[in-house]
Amino acid sequence: MNVRDALEGLRDFWREFIKVKTGLVGLVILLAFVALAVFGPSIVPFPGATDHWRDITFWQDNPQAAPPEWVNALPWVSKKGVVSSFLSNPKLSDEKQESGVVVRTCLFTYPFSSDEPPRDVVVRFEGEGQVPVDVTVTRPDGLSAELYREQLDIAAGVLQRVSVTNNCAQSIIEFVRAQNEDLASGLDADLIKPTSILFSRIDPSLANNPTMLKGAYTITVTALLLNDQSRFQNPTIVVSGHVSGLLGTDVSKRDIFTGIVIGSRWALIIGILTSLITVVLGVVLGVIAAYFGGVTDWLLSRLYELIYLLPVLPFLIVISAIFKPSIWTLIIIICLFFWTGPYKPVYSMALQIREETYIEASRALGSGRMRIIFRHIIPILLPYSFAVMALSVPAVIVYEASVSLLGLGDATIVTWGQVLHDALGQGAVISNLWWWVVPPGLTIALMGMSFAFLGTALDKILHPKLKTR
Amino acid sequence: MFRIYILKRILYGALMYIVMVFVFSTLFNNVADQTQRSQIDEQIRQEVRTLKNVTEQQLQKYIEDRRLAKLNQYHLNEPLPSRIFWRAVRTISFDFGNATNLKASNGDRLVLGIILEALPKTLILFTTEVILTTVLGVALGLYMAQKPNGLLDRVSSGLTMITNGLPAWWLGMIAIMIFSYAVPLFPSGGLHSNPTPQGLAGFIDFLWHLSLPLLTLVLLSVWGTGYLTRNIVLSNLQEDYVMAARARGIAERRVLFGHTLRTSLPAIMTLAVLGLFSSIAGNIIVEGIFGWPGIGKLYFVAVQANDVPILMATLSIETLFNMVGFILLDIIYGFLDPRIKVGGKA
Repeated sequence: MNVRDALEGLRDFWREFIKVKTGLVGLVILLAFVALAVFGPSIVPFPGATDHWRDITFWQDNPQAAPPEWVNALPWVSKKGVVSSFLSNPKLSDEKQESGVVVRTCLFTYPFSSDEPPRDVVVRFEGEGQVPVDVTVTRPDGLSAELYREQLDIAAGVLQRVSVTNNCAQSIIEFVRAQNEDLASGLDADLIKPTSILFSRIDPSLANNPTMLKGAYTITVTALLLNDQSRFQNPTIVVSGHVSGLLGTDVSKRDIFTGIVIGSRWALIIGILTSLITVVLGVVLGVIAAYFGGVTDWLLSRLYELIYLLPVLPFLIVISAIFKPSIWTLIIIICLFFWTGPYKPVYSMALQIREETYIEASRALGSGRMRIIFRHIIPILLPYSFAVMALSVPAVIVYEASVSLLGLGDATIVTWGQVLHDALGQGAVISNLWWWVVPPGLTIALMGMSFAFLGTALDKILHPKLKTR
Repeated sequence: MFRIYILKRILYGALMYIVMVFVFSTLFNNVADQTQRSQIDEQIRQEVRTLKNVTEQQLQKYIEDRRLAKLNQYHLNEPLPSRIFWRAVRTISFDFGNATNLKASNGDRLVLGIILEALPKTLILFTTEVILTTVLGVALGLYMAQKPNGLLDRVSSGLTMITNGLPAWWLGMIAIMIFSYAVPLFPSGGLHSNPTPQGLAGFIDFLWHLSLPLLTLVLLSVWGTGYLTRNIVLSNLQEDYVMAARARGIAERRVLFGHTLRTSLPAIMTLAVLGLFSSIAGNIIVEGIFGWPGIGKLYFVAVQANDVPILMATLSIETLFNMVGFILLDIIYGFLDPRIKVGGKA
């Protein structure tokens, strides 16, 4: 078979394939997943998440267990929560004073229009050396509050955080005192919610039932660069709200959308790699058993029965619990179980092919057994193998997810099963955190579905051809 | 001839089971040995407590003697292959010993007792599920095959693909979230309410607890069974004898149920029998999620508690059941399909 024949065959196959609608749907979903796995990690809202999924500090400024942003748009949700957001790209201006000190001013504008105050507002920046930093908020009513003023001794490369909730309670009471002495005397720095005062009207209702002050807030971060060695870079403001991202956050404040996207890579790797190995193994062993016959056949058939009868999931779980395998070892173990899938059908097909005259002719010409198996028998079984391969992917993904769900998976990677493990372990079902439970399972089902569609379509196209041989 | 075939089949099966128990025995050897040693020490400590009026020297000698006797009894002083061999022999003879940590509800630590306590609960849920799935699935498949590419066929084929890669435990989680918390129709788990009502009310209470896991499992797997039945029946509908039957003017219903179903039976039986026998293993995760105290849950608790005697016993019993199903299937095949027994080849 030369290249032109192969291309022609491929074109014929494609012409047949596009007639089967389900196959096309499967292909489209699969390609979408492949695109997600390849480009996803660079377009997710939290780029370094692949390496920091279990790193608490990486996620510390996210809200905890927040629903997705789009729940605000649902008609039956009456209380619209604050959308978590990042304010980067401030209006920067440097002013050099006569003494050589540079005053760097960063202006952020935050439009606030919710019925609840944000959970927290965090100012983040990096720097180096002795840097006096000042954070001031100008409210829509014209009042301005100085939240923070400190001379910081910053080490290079360490992210600095100023949290309104944790660092600014006292200065907010001072801000209220400047407007209304009586009101401030009723406030206790340990008890108040600083963001709730910062975003409310200053009137007597403040202490018990504050009214939100909507409009544009301007947050000014000023840093003094005392000499040439001082640095102040990358100022960002994180507004930690009640709803966050496309799919919300979990109890550990992790962004679930990011987890789903980086998990798609492993689902594809596990699914495709495992089914590839198992199909190759199953087809080769099946053909060898059928062609060689005798003792080889007997031994392989017993091995097949042995593995076929083993309870797969219990065995996988016990192996995982005893040996704590990495994901690659787990893939190998799953392969040892799954080659039995294509073995029997291939075996019976190869038995028929063995008796064909062209095999006899080849043998008469002096071909060796291996040559006959790999040149004449396996190429005929190849199309069928692809269908089997696609059909076995869903089961493989579900098995990996099951092992991960029980907390026995590889802890160095992120898979959908592990997201579900965390959800189950931390009571997402009982606390009704549906945005944590539904998406990972849905993606597992969707990926399984795409392969099932593809496999059935391939089976439909390729099977009749096999029969006519 | 057929008798020899059956005998051969059973012998092969027994041999295979023995091989598998040896595999398990090798796998668990290290941990199982440690468990057994500490159990022997504990037993001797208890015996010592009952002894009275003995000198220190006599006591030491007694402990050493007893220990040696026990170690010899379990072949623990012998080299590795021998230890593996004797553990396999004990497992095959259903002598599973005591569990390491787990106990039956009456405080008994015998492995067999613990397993027998969990087994009925798994049977009620999963065997019922297999039976329901098979009956409903075969009926569905027959109706699908009656009008291929009809509405029913297309809808259920689509559902097959969708449920194909859907983990049952995830559907269980969703079902609990919807039907136990959002719309509290069913309990979120367990066997009974607390306190358990007596008599008929208790039975209804049990059915009420059973329904959510059972419905979830059946609704998930019935489509796959239906699709497989449809494919089997459809391939048989293309045979010549069906055309002959139709040509003779036999009603379509009789062709379907009388002729085609008969020839499709061996393949459908495979599904049913294998499903039935493997159902005793339960489902580790589904049982965990629904708080169903069957074999699957026992297994997972044993994994977490590193209770090797239970693991080994459960695995070998599950394998035994799979094997029995497999052999039974071959024998049924021999009955249903005369061609098989003529060859006499296993």
